Amino acid sequence: MPSFTPTRRTLLKTGTAAAALATLGPAFLRQAAAQDADLAPYKAAQIDWQQVSGETITVAVIPASYFENLITLAPQFKALTGIDVRFEKIPPAQIRQKSVIDLTSKTGTYATHAADPMYYALYAANKWVEPLDTYLADKSLTDPAWFKLDDIIPAWRSANGIDGKLYGMPYDGEVTIQVYRKDLYDAKGLKPADTLEAYMSNAAALNTPNDRVWGAALRGVAGAGQNMYIYPSIFREFGGDWMKGGKLTVNGPEAEAALAWYIDIMKKYAPTAAANWNWPDIADAFSQGTVASYIDAHSSASVINNPEKSKVIGKVGYARWPKGPSGKRTTSIWNWGFPINAALPEKKRKATWLFIQWAASAETQARTAHKFAGPTKRSGVNRTSVWKDPDYIKLMNGFGENFVEATMGALQEDTDVDWRPRVPQWPAIGDTMATAIQSALSGQATIKAALDDAQRRIEPMMRG
Amino acid sequence: MTAKRLRIIALLAISTVFLLAWAFPILWSVLNSLKTDSDVLAYPPKLVFAPTLEAYRDVLFGSGSILPNLLSSVIISVGTTIVTMLMAVPAAYALARLRFRGKKFAGFYVLATQMLPPVGIIIPYFLVLRNIGWIDTYQGIILIYLSFSLPFAIWLLVSYFEDIPFEMEEAAYLDGASRLKTLWRIIIPQVRGGIAVTIVFVFLNAWNEFLFAVVLSGNTVRPVTVAMFNFVSVEQTLWAKLAAVSVLAMLPVVVLGVVAQKHIVKGLTVGAVKGGGRR
Repeated sequence: MPSFTPTRRTLLKTGTAAAALATLGPAFLRQAAAQDADLAPYKAAQIDWQQVSGETITVAVIPASYFENLITLAPQFKALTGIDVRFEKIPPAQIRQKSVIDLTSKTGTYATHAADPMYYALYAANKWVEPLDTYLADKSLTDPAWFKLDDIIPAWRSANGIDGKLYGMPYDGEVTIQVYRKDLYDAKGLKPADTLEAYMSNAAALNTPNDRVWGAALRGVAGAGQNMYIYPSIFREFGGDWMKGGKLTVNGPEAEAALAWYIDIMKKYAPTAAANWNWPDIADAFSQGTVASYIDAHSSASVINNPEKSKVIGKVGYARWPKGPSGKRTTSIWNWGFPINAALPEKKRKATWLFIQWAASAETQARTAHKFAGPTKRSGVNRTSVWKDPDYIKLMNGFGENFVEATMGALQEDTDVDWRPRVPQWPAIGDTMATAIQSALSGQATIKAALDDAQRRIEPMMRG
Repeated sequence: MTAKRLRIIALLAISTVFLLAWAFPILWSVLNSLKTDSDVLAYPPKLVFAPTLEAYRDVLFGSGSILPNLLSSVIISVGTTIVTMLMAVPAAYALARLRFRGKKFAGFYVLATQMLPPVGIIIPYFLVLRNIGWIDTYQGIILIYLSFSLPFAIWLLVSYFEDIPFEMEEAAYLDGASRLKTLWRIIIPQVRGGIAVTIVFVFLNAWNEFLFAVVLSGNTVRPVTVAMFNFVSVEQTLWAKLAAVSVLAMLPVVVLGVVAQKHIVKGLTVGAVKGGGRR
């Protein structure tokens, strides 16, 4: 549950976006011009944007630059639709809590909110949010030829769907990739790993704690969105399957092998403190030159390229996940999507849909990314067409070697909808697994015991 | 003599260790708040660095200024404290002095409300406030804070009231003073130390509260404890700014603590030797 870009303020201070973005200097004026409230690209859609003019909706987002950019453009939405949007910024840990309280109590406080893909199963089971298909099919609300749903990254759409129905429209997302110190790898003649085995041996070759360089780091802190963000990929790559004979299964030989690999690399080649690290700590350490490689969200590229903090700018390369013994690469399917709160009256639901359609449209995605006049650009746009835009590619490749290829490769080939078990009980299951992984990592339990114990705890959850 | 001196040295050493353990996180915050983001991450940690007030400038006057949040915190804490004290002083007096049916039960009830885990009542509170339209309002948050500050304050004050010899009151009555006048002119001046302690604790609890604030607040009313959390974003943790906000948020508390120190120390020791007076 992580993400990107140096904050707006740090960048404003330096006056340039990440070092690479600075090369776009002359393009800056053009972008600024594109920023004005030119509504023509939206009006090309064959719908009446003004149909619920005068409505006000509240949207909960997390404090993050990709939402900041969207908030900056809200006046354009108001001009287009006559709908007022109030944004409420809530820290990521609390946004789940607050939106679930709002949804359970059916108070309709938040018309939509930045939603976690793992929560749609819960939302849909309780009918707290509406399937978006109805809105997509309604010709008075959506112009399919203009909106081009198929252009939105398929992996994220399926991550936000339950039984083939889309419940949350992806707005911004990420995939996990390998990030490595190209200079250190080159010096030893190493290549980014193609297999988990090679990743381990690369880490071994570069691990020199006496010089304060550790071979690798993965998320260690316990949490459904922390160590259980990285472990599921390893589990799937080792051939693990969450559903065995219709029963949620977290133990077994594949799980043991996966957890053994994770513990091995963490114990042998990661800084001891990494057992308590979440991704910002890993990115901070990498940016200080103390970690040779990590596997985490592609969006962390902006942090390790922040000229104010980073000592490794220009020394970074990217690659897709190493393959596991099953021959698969499995990346995350994380994205922030917008669902529609079912407790709203009809007019507000329509207003919410218009907002979602606007935010997810190719035009708004471009205007919040490479066409954004401010210094912070998004690295998690939701549309394949934007990822193919030469301007966007140029901007993204400023993050280091092979960035766009690794990210797009992961997005198109390595995604796996069953990356994590998509069941309504996920929040509790994720926490249980997270604790099990950490207790095995800290040596409080053997790998087998930790997993068997997690299985015992999870079974009653699935019955209840 | 040497034995005594040794003992003093040993005591000093032990208290220094404890003091350092307590002071370290605070010193660390202060140091980090004066660093740039790159200095914060430096290893080994820099003890000598060029201090900058940049983080403070950013959090106070930058685009995400926390000044409105500090104001929110002040309004909530002061409001809670005033309303709490207005109600807690008479209530505590009544519980300590008056004889009425159900007094024992009332005393127990006040204490019992303190035994609920706050997280258990957060959803009912949310629903109640939502239904009366008080989510994200000062009156809403103060009302909720009262529900735990009031029993705490009453419970604390009762013991102070019970400490005052009844004879003093009798003397006032003999001189023709009414009950209210006695309370105001005789009793309250006697327990002003206790009242000061209670004010400090009620204020601190309201100032530091996070759990209820995060759920019941919104864009309009957002205390600094909640706003601070936004510096730990999904993108990165802004350590220098987080430290600067923490120091700023600590300041009023520290000032209040220093001002009220005399009363607090007295209040705590008074509390330590009594207890026999409670019925």
